[in-house]
Amino acid sequence: MADNVTNPLKRTLPDGIVPEDEVTRTEDRWSIIMLSMLGVMMAIIVVTGATHALHPPSNVETIDPTTLHLGGEFAESNLGTAAEPDGSVTLRMIAEQYSFVPNCAQVPVDTPVKLRITSPDVIHGFLLPATNVNTMVVPGFVAEIRTNFSRPGIYDMPCNEFCSYGHHGMWARVKVVPKDQFPDLSPVERTSCAKQ
Amino acid sequence: MSTDSSQPHVSAAARIEHVAAPIDAETAAEALKHGPRGALVVATIAVGLLFVGWLLFYFVLFLPRGSVG
Repeated sequence: MADNVTNPLKRTLPDGIVPEDEVTRTEDRWSIIMLSMLGVMMAIIVVTGATHALHPPSNVETIDPTTLHLGGEFAESNLGTAAEPDGSVTLRMIAEQYSFVPNCAQVPVDTPVKLRITSPDVIHGFLLPATNVNTMVVPGFVAEIRTNFSRPGIYDMPCNEFCSYGHHGMWARVKVVPKDQFPDLSPVERTSCAKQ
Repeated sequence: MSTDSSQPHVSAAARIEHVAAPIDAETAAEALKHGPRGALVVATIAVGLLFVGWLLFYFVLFLPRGSVG
């Protein structure tokens, strides 16, 4: 006990040992630093979001998941990559237990690409590594995400939303080809990565 | 050094004779009269590193991965 009284490490310092005005000044300065930092971060996010057209994919578009195969946009003949009149391409896929249909699609580099994917069964998801493409695929809704591939190559496209016991084997690929090669591809080649 | 194993072990590290810089209230008040500068320096370095890390992630990793929408 005697040690506790004489030991300065265990002796509490009196309250108010730091002058009140110094406490106030320190708190004010720290608040200014924090608010400035948050302001800079928000400004960066807003400016780059506006200049790069960056925003979270937020397409809300419903579709009947029970009739996907009977016709309409996601009928089998419409799946894969379609060239649009404005020069962009649209990639349509169906995510189902436990594969993407088609399993691979080819798109041109440096071209606006719109991915439209839906599910007939359970919630799936997909991402493309080395890009910011990452969204959920919910049955009854069409997931739409726009991007622009800046580098050719083969991008693995795994399902990233657990969809039951075959989830680990559910993945597709997106092959980004040079812009001048894309028009020469037949519709069949655009939905396959196999060498013709 | 005592090696009597029948006695409970008590660390001697906190004994006053082992404390390198004992400080009393007056000395503490003198050291803190301009505020807790050391704590501010440590906090500034920590927050600065976090901020720089955020900037690096944003400009070096996130933006080069391309726009989405």
